[in-house]
Amino acid sequence: MIQVNSLHKSFGAVQALRGVSFTAPDGCITGLLVPNGAGKTTTLRILYTLLKPDSGTASIDGYDTVSQSLDVQEHIGVLPESHGLYPRLTARENIRYYGQLRGLSGDQLEQKIAHLIELLEMSDIADRRTDGFSSGQRVKVAIARSLVHDPSNVLLDEPTNGLDVISTRAMRSFIRRLSESGKCVLFSSHIMQEVSALCDNIIILNRGEVVACGSPEELLRATGQSNLEEAFVSAIGSEEGLLRS
Amino acid sequence: MNGSLTRIYVVFRKEAMDNLRDRRSIFSALSSSLIGPVILVLLIYILGKSIFSDRLLNPLQLPVSGAENAPELILFMEQNGTQILPAPANPEVAVRNGDADVILIIPIGYDSEFSSGRPATVQLVLDSTRQSAISSVERTRDLLSAYNQQIASLRLIARGVNPTVTSPLAVENIDLATPQTQALIFLNMMPYFIVMVVFLGGMYVVIDTTAGERERGSLEPLLINPVARWEFVIGKLAASWPFAIFTLLCNLMAFALAFNVFPLEDYIGIQLSIDLTALGWIFVIALPMVLLASALQMIIATFTRSFKEAQTYVAFLPLIPALPGIGLAFLPVKPTLWTMLIPTFGQQLLINQLMRGEAVSPINAVASAAMTILVAIGLTYAAIRLYQRERLLFGTK
Repeated sequence: MIQVNSLHKSFGAVQALRGVSFTAPDGCITGLLVPNGAGKTTTLRILYTLLKPDSGTASIDGYDTVSQSLDVQEHIGVLPESHGLYPRLTARENIRYYGQLRGLSGDQLEQKIAHLIELLEMSDIADRRTDGFSSGQRVKVAIARSLVHDPSNVLLDEPTNGLDVISTRAMRSFIRRLSESGKCVLFSSHIMQEVSALCDNIIILNRGEVVACGSPEELLRATGQSNLEEAFVSAIGSEEGLLRS
Repeated sequence: MNGSLTRIYVVFRKEAMDNLRDRRSIFSALSSSLIGPVILVLLIYILGKSIFSDRLLNPLQLPVSGAENAPELILFMEQNGTQILPAPANPEVAVRNGDADVILIIPIGYDSEFSSGRPATVQLVLDSTRQSAISSVERTRDLLSAYNQQIASLRLIARGVNPTVTSPLAVENIDLATPQTQALIFLNMMPYFIVMVVFLGGMYVVIDTTAGERERGSLEPLLINPVARWEFVIGKLAASWPFAIFTLLCNLMAFALAFNVFPLEDYIGIQLSIDLTALGWIFVIALPMVLLASALQMIIATFTRSFKEAQTYVAFLPLIPALPGIGLAFLPVKPTLWTMLIPTFGQQLLINQLMRGEAVSPINAVASAAMTILVAIGLTYAAIRLYQRERLLFGTK
C-alpha cells in the first residue's frame, strides 16, 4: 500500500509539487493521470526514494521513503521512465544482476527469472545481448528485472510508452494479473483510454496538485460529465498535455 | 557487513564482466601498456645509433678542402683512422643542409705560415646546434689538437727545450659513468610511463560505469535497488582495479622484454637490464596509485554528462604526474621523506631508485604507500558523497 501525504518539492524557483496526497491500496490498479510537466516524475521519484520531499511524507507498506529508504526499496518494483539496459549483457543477465543486488541467488533466482521470462513471453530473446532490442523488448526486460524479487508494490512510469498495439495489449493484461495477485499497482500515463480501461482508482494531478481522485464512476459524478474524457478535461481545466488514443 | 560485501561483489562482478566484453576497454588497456616500452625502444634506436655507435664502429669521414696544402697533416689524420674525402664545392651549404657533419678547410697560405713558425690557420665548418654532428666534430678537434701537440713538442725539442715544461698540468678524467648509468638517460623516463599506465589502465572502466551508466539511462533504475550508495561506489571502483593492474603487469613485462631481450647493445653499445626482483618491487610500489587513479577518475566522471565529456577530462589526468616526472629527467631530486608524501611523485622517485639498482629506504616506501592510500581513501569518500546527492541523477554540477 502506498500512502502519500501533502508532498511539497521545489527545484530552485519551480514548484514541482504543491501538496500532493493520495492512497493506493493493495489489490488495486491506481492510475496517475498527469499532463506532461505536472509533477508526475517528481512524485514517483519521491516514492522510489531517489528524491526527498521538502515537506510532507510518503510511505510504502508503512515504511517512510526518507528515513527507511532501504526498506522501501525492498518492497517496491519500479519501471522508471528511463529504463536503460546493459547492452553487452543478455536479457537474462540483466534480470539476474538486479536479482543478485536484491540478495537472491542460486536456483531460487534462476527459477524466478525463468518464470518472468515465460510470463512476459520473452524466451526467444532471453539469451541475446540487449544491444539492438526493440522498445517493446526493452520494456519487457526492464519490467522483468524490476519484478524479480516479487515486490508487493509495483510502480510503472508510462509502461506502454513507445509500444506497438500488440505489445500494449499484452502489457495491459500483465498489469491486470499483477493486481489480481494482490499487489498494489501504481501506474502513470497520459493516455486517457488506458487509464480508464485499466484503473480501479484514478488520481488526476495538475500543476503539482491532486485535482480529482476516485473510481471512474465517482469522477463522473463529481465533475457532472457523462463520459470520462469530458471528466478529465473538466478536472484539468484544459485539454493540454493529454493524449486521446 | 557480510551483506555489504556480497552486494559490493555483485556490483564488481557485473561491471568487470560487462567491461571484459567491451573491446574498447581491453584495447585501451593493452595499447596503453605498450606506449612506454615502444617509445623507449624507438628513442634508443634513433638516438642511440647517432650518439653512441659512431666512434666505436665507423671511421671518421672528413671532407677536406685544400688537402694538398698540408700533406703531413692529412697523413697524420689518415694514420689515425680518418677517411679523407674531397670537399664539396660549397662547404657552408653542405654543412647547413646536413650533407656533411663537419668540413676541414686548409687555406693556400697554410704551408708558408707553417714553415715560418707562425700559427697556421685551418678552418672547421660546423653547426654546433646539430646533435648528430657532435661526435664527428669532437673527433676532428681531438685529432687536430693531437697534431698540434705533436708538432709543438717536435719544435721545442729542436730548440733544446723539454716539451713537458709546456704542460704544467696533467689532467686525467676519471669517468664514473658505468654503462648502466649512461643508459639511465633513457631509463629516467620509465617511472613516468609506469604512472601513466596506472592511470590509463582502468580509465575506460571507470568512465563506463559512471558517466556511461548515466548516459545509457540505466543509473536511475539501478539506484532503486536496496544497495547503499557507498556499496555501489566501492564495487564500481573495484571493477576497474583488475584492468589497471593487468595493464601495469603488461607494461612491466614489456619493459623487461625491451631491456633484457631486445638487442639494445647493437644500438647503444651496452646491454641494459632490470632484474625481476626490482620489477616485482616496482609493481608493489605502483599498486597504491591504482586506488588513487580510480577514485580521482570517478569524481571527474561523476560531474560530466556524457561518456565523451568524461573521456575528455579524465584523459588529462595522467599529464599531472608527468610534470614532476619530466623535471626528474633534468633536475635530479633526492628521495627525501617529504617528497614521498606527494602521491605519484614519491613513486616515481622510488621506481627510479630501483631501476638504478640503488637501495630503497623502507621508511620512504612505506611513507609513500601510506600517504597515497590515505589520499585515495579521502577521494573515495568524496566520490561516495557525490553519489549520495540527488543531483547525481541529472549529471549537473
